[in-house]
Amino acid sequence: MASTGTTRTADLAGGPPGPSAARPPRRGGRRGGRARLTPYALATPALVVLVGVLGYPMAKLVVLSFQTWGLAQIFNPDAGPSFAGLANYRRIFSDGFFWTVLERTVIVAAAMVVLSMVVGVAVALLMQVVPGWCRWLMTFALVLAWAVPQPVSTEMFAWMTDYNYGVINYLLGIPRHNWYIDNVQGFAVSTAVVVWGAVPLIAITVYAALAQIPRDLIEAARVDGASSPQVFRKVTVPLLRPILLMLSTLSVIWDFQVFTQIWVLRQSNPTKDYFTLGIYSYARAYYSHDYGYASALAVVTVLLLLGVMVVYLRQILRMGEAE
Amino acid sequence: MSRGRLRTLVWTVCGLAVVVVWVFPVYWMANTAFKPGKDMQTVTPQFWPHHPSVANFRIVVTDPVFWRALRNSAIVTGLTVVAAMVVAFLAALAIARFRFHGRKAFVFAVMIVQMVPLNAVVIPLFLMFNRARLTDTVPGLVLAYLAFAMPFAVWTLRGFLANIPVELEEAAMVDGCGRFSAFIRIVLPLVLPGLVATSVYTMILAWNEFMLTYFLISSPGNYTLPLWLTHFTLGEGTEYGPLMAGSTLIAVPVVAFFMAVQRRVAGGLTAGAVKG
Repeated sequence: MASTGTTRTADLAGGPPGPSAARPPRRGGRRGGRARLTPYALATPALVVLVGVLGYPMAKLVVLSFQTWGLAQIFNPDAGPSFAGLANYRRIFSDGFFWTVLERTVIVAAAMVVLSMVVGVAVALLMQVVPGWCRWLMTFALVLAWAVPQPVSTEMFAWMTDYNYGVINYLLGIPRHNWYIDNVQGFAVSTAVVVWGAVPLIAITVYAALAQIPRDLIEAARVDGASSPQVFRKVTVPLLRPILLMLSTLSVIWDFQVFTQIWVLRQSNPTKDYFTLGIYSYARAYYSHDYGYASALAVVTVLLLLGVMVVYLRQILRMGEAE
Repeated sequence: MSRGRLRTLVWTVCGLAVVVVWVFPVYWMANTAFKPGKDMQTVTPQFWPHHPSVANFRIVVTDPVFWRALRNSAIVTGLTVVAAMVVAFLAALAIARFRFHGRKAFVFAVMIVQMVPLNAVVIPLFLMFNRARLTDTVPGLVLAYLAFAMPFAVWTLRGFLANIPVELEEAAMVDGCGRFSAFIRIVLPLVLPGLVATSVYTMILAWNEFMLTYFLISSPGNYTLPLWLTHFTLGEGTEYGPLMAGSTLIAVPVVAFFMAVQRRVAGGLTAGAVKG
């Protein structure tokens, strides 16, 4: 970032809040009260969309989770939902299947996040040490994969693991192998699709961040006698911390609710042993029309993710303030 | 010297392995798409199409639902991009150029959206849209995409705007430009790359979106391309030839646009991430 931009926003963000601070320097003097309203006018459309499409539904979700909402309410909007108290939550926690699904979701998501981050960072580091032409090829390959839509990449992997003609079966020397009878293998394929799709974003972002680290910092550490691993641990990682934290929290949020890469891989009809929280909630809502229960499941998911979200938000705010 | 060269060689081989892993699935998709049905079903897979044919593509383009879906995708994507750019640009302007009460809360609200679990919103959104008769409609999709595309757009545009010194604008105003013409002549050209990058990002998001669409759209007349693609599998057994041809057709525009702007998109994400 240009230093002018950095310093300017820095002094914009600082300063005591108050009516007089509500105006940017020098501008408000000419326009007075009208200028004071300008930022609000500018922000209003965005706010309306956010509240309307996300804020209100989120609030509604919580309300729904305390209600009985079924087919009757869908087909007859006048038939109000009935208040169910904690019944939906009680059903969730006393349901053995929920705990199975939860455990499975945590394991699968953890595998996806860890693999994506480790491979992503390793690829970014590799990009730094290969010759220019190789780096160009790597960037090309990653960007190519990055751009492939999720349903498309999932179908690609489904075809590559096809029972009769899957090329992966051929390459591994296991002809006529069914990857989906055992859900561990099936989830391994799902994980491969997710990691394949997530690594480009992580690798390219981390590589861009690595390129922003000032050379003199690393050289100074070298001059002081630090070895390469030491430079990496003591200089590079701390500087990358914010971006790594952001990428991994986002990965947790995305992978914890993974949907497409399981749903499409199982031909839009996953069996129960492929249910994760996201899919379970979907099935409850759209197949069983049990919207109250499904909403309670979604609320539980959000609560489980809350810790990660707090970390992410703090990071975002810190970045906002640093500028 | 030779030890250094050996090391470079090892890294290069690793780098090429990465290239293979990330290109191969895409290559395999295209390779399959150009094979006639018989050649897909060989014991030893053909690593390039021995008898290249466009028969699979012909199946795709003769499917009327494909054309409907293409039209819907184009309309939804176009509308989402235009709406997102206008709304996000205004919001970014507010954040980058003004300090006002609630600025921080506003930034916070925008960023929180980035991590709202889709699963959590989709049920109430479905019920809400259902009541407003927006489910299974194109405008409903645009509204939903808009909300999810905005945080990134606001964040990126804010970065671009913050980099344009206010002094430039003021100098133009001193030289006799009005506020509006200073904006048109100075700010807009400078922020244009940011607008291009964000609109391509939004475009890709809208073009690729699957889960929300899957929840909100039910009739084939309103399918978008990803939805059309996954319903392709629901017949008797999966027809991978046409499926891969369809996948290729969907991916090509995205890949092309993405290649064109990826540098800026990645830059927007990391802007301000590392402080030297």
